[in-house]
Amino acid sequence: MPYAFVRGRAFRDIVIVLVLVFGVGSIAMLLAHVSPLVAFGALFDGAFGTREEVAETLVQATNLLFPALGIAVAFRAGLFNIGAEGQLILGGFAAGWLGAQLPLPWYLAIPMVLVAGALAGGVWGAIPGFLRARFGANEVIATLMLNVVAVLLATYLVNGPLALPGSGASETPSLPHAAQLPDLVADSRLTWAFPIALGLAFVLRWMLQRTVFGYELRAAGDAPEAAKRAGIDLRRTAFVAMALSGAIAGLGGATIVAGELHRFNTGLSPGYGFIAIAVALVGNLDPLWIIVASLAFGVLQSGGIAMQAEAGVPRDVVALVTGLVIIALAGRRVVAARRST
Amino acid sequence: MRRRFGAVQAVDGVDLELLPGEIHALVGENGAGKSTLAAIAYGAVRADEGTVEALGVVGLVHQHFKLIERLRVWENVLLNREPKRGWTIDVPAARARVLELAAKYGLAVDPDAVVETLPVGIKQRVELLRELDREPAVLLLDEPTAALAPSEIASFFETVRGLAARGTAVLVVTHKLAEVIAYSQRVTVMRAGAVVARHLTGETNADAIAREMVGGEVPALATRAATEPAVLLEAHGLSATSGTSALTDVTFAVRAGEIVGIAGIEGNGQSALADALAGIVPFTGELRLAGVVLRPDDSPAARLARGIRVIPQDRRREALVLDWDVCDNVVLGRQRTLPRAGYDAAAREVIERFDVRPPDPGAIVGMLSGGNQQKVVVGRLLSGAPKLVVAYQPTRGIDIGAAALVQSRLIEARNAGAGVLLISFELDEIFACADRVLVIAGGAFVGSFDRAAIDRGRIGALMAGGRA
Repeated sequence: MPYAFVRGRAFRDIVIVLVLVFGVGSIAMLLAHVSPLVAFGALFDGAFGTREEVAETLVQATNLLFPALGIAVAFRAGLFNIGAEGQLILGGFAAGWLGAQLPLPWYLAIPMVLVAGALAGGVWGAIPGFLRARFGANEVIATLMLNVVAVLLATYLVNGPLALPGSGASETPSLPHAAQLPDLVADSRLTWAFPIALGLAFVLRWMLQRTVFGYELRAAGDAPEAAKRAGIDLRRTAFVAMALSGAIAGLGGATIVAGELHRFNTGLSPGYGFIAIAVALVGNLDPLWIIVASLAFGVLQSGGIAMQAEAGVPRDVVALVTGLVIIALAGRRVVAARRST
Repeated sequence: MRRRFGAVQAVDGVDLELLPGEIHALVGENGAGKSTLAAIAYGAVRADEGTVEALGVVGLVHQHFKLIERLRVWENVLLNREPKRGWTIDVPAARARVLELAAKYGLAVDPDAVVETLPVGIKQRVELLRELDREPAVLLLDEPTAALAPSEIASFFETVRGLAARGTAVLVVTHKLAEVIAYSQRVTVMRAGAVVARHLTGETNADAIAREMVGGEVPALATRAATEPAVLLEAHGLSATSGTSALTDVTFAVRAGEIVGIAGIEGNGQSALADALAGIVPFTGELRLAGVVLRPDDSPAARLARGIRVIPQDRRREALVLDWDVCDNVVLGRQRTLPRAGYDAAAREVIERFDVRPPDPGAIVGMLSGGNQQKVVVGRLLSGAPKLVVAYQPTRGIDIGAAALVQSRLIEARNAGAGVLLISFELDEIFACADRVLVIAGGAFVGSFDRAAIDRGRIGALMAGGRA
């Protein structure tokens, strides 16, 4: 089991993240001869300064929330899906490819675009799920490698068989207006993807805690040997959990395409699928706390750009902090495991 | 000594003195603090209060061997004390040293054997030799005979007596009172972290010590009602393998309303038997339940649906989700048939019938004592009128009160018409519960005794006979 869900730990983890962000971030800034006050001021100003900036913060939170929820589903089943990035990209590709050729009214086009993204991501998650269930293949390695395959596959498709005549860009044609997710805030990229993600978090929370499927999934993750002896089919659970995990990440990719870009572009993700691992862990694998964690990371993502522009602090500080968060949480687990023996 | 773990005061103001040349028994129920005290004396656990003084090195042999299975005997015995020649290990000197040590204490071993290939009794010699190489003035033995056959136990204590005769102070931590009476000179009884009695062994007896351990009378078991046994489970030429455990071509029957005890030393095919019945591993041969042929590759779910319930040996890993509460653990295995609204009632029923403490469906199972955890497991598996109950070490590591309750519920299941297969390494448990005893050794059944004809000496000899 790669990481155990523990009740009531999310709040403490979010405090750890804040300490890391401000503490280590300040040290890094001082080393770069920048005042942490100025830099963090720029970060918060960039994240919350105007209505549009708040909207952009929520956009970043949304784009992290989908893959983080997917990762959490796999984690709760005891599986480490680090392939959310690839699942998200292929979900975005399927949405862009199908969406561009749908002469349908919005109430058909939008659902079909989103379903196409979820299906593509689901297939990409189901592959390592199948390999794990059938052959016992390690899902960490399989999902990690499939990330690369996903990027190359999408790049090949948009440049090769599905290339736009006369265009050199690695992208699909743009989506007709009917297939685009409506804006939530004018003059921003914030669309209905945000409430969809929030709703999905509540649905997943209900599924995990209240349904038989969620019960079996958690049993398989928390105590696989006991679950097996209680008649739960671990292979089936692993397969379904990975497919669902990939579908959620793929849905996230579809919302980026249908909401923000209005076309698929191979550069649609700056690594949401990887940052989302930290988001899922900080949210203690609980969908509702993951909402909170995604908002915190959304602030870092959107404010980081302003911090670089206004305070001259490289955006990489944000990546540095994200990495530290993962190390801190993983390290804490090692310490806990040692204490319990 | 004092030592607290979280909310539990594991050791609470204990004084203990060991004399050179004595065999001193430390007894008490699981959780009484014996092992913690030994670990403090060894230095593996730090005391919150108190000091340890010893006239030399203190050695400890663990209940669960701490050997590196893939390494050879000499590598294990001399681990971290290897004789060196420059940058390399002086292998001939190391082998010679182990042989010399083995000869000195009469513990014959092959220094070049790989530990994982050795039987349990030899592994224990290796463990003992490793400590003896440090020439301990004090030797602590934590449940040293748990995995030994009766004949091995006698020879083990001969070795221990030899050590004591050389002036070593020996502390034996155990719950087997017969060994206390037979081999120790002094006995210290612990309960709930404190010493409740100290005796010269010659001035007390096993019953008195048992009462001191429990803090009252030892509870009686449920009475056995007359039943009309009809054949329930038939096995013909049954073979199975689970990990290193193998069962070879056994034929037996279990009748409804009967407890069949499987007596044997750990590692003689018991795990393969339990796992084959549970549907964890496939079997060859024929297995019928109430006349219906069981498929060799049934899933655990299919066996559960047929009314077969297996109480696994390792409750923490194989039966419970430790992070979950009692309610969700009681439901495990019935989550598809029990409506959500019935969860709480199911949990309360088990809590009441099995006296789970605290009586709270919301209590996290990992926080319960071993005895209460086992009550949750047995309660869950016995509910809903099972046809066949396979109880594999159902009272391992739990206190006497909880053990009596679990055994009583098994007897009641038998009285109600279930067939019970009781696989246990504790002969006393089998003799207390079983209508019939089958002796297992080397993966085969080597003897069968009706309750009226139980012969402890012969059963002990048969158990040991199947060993390599």
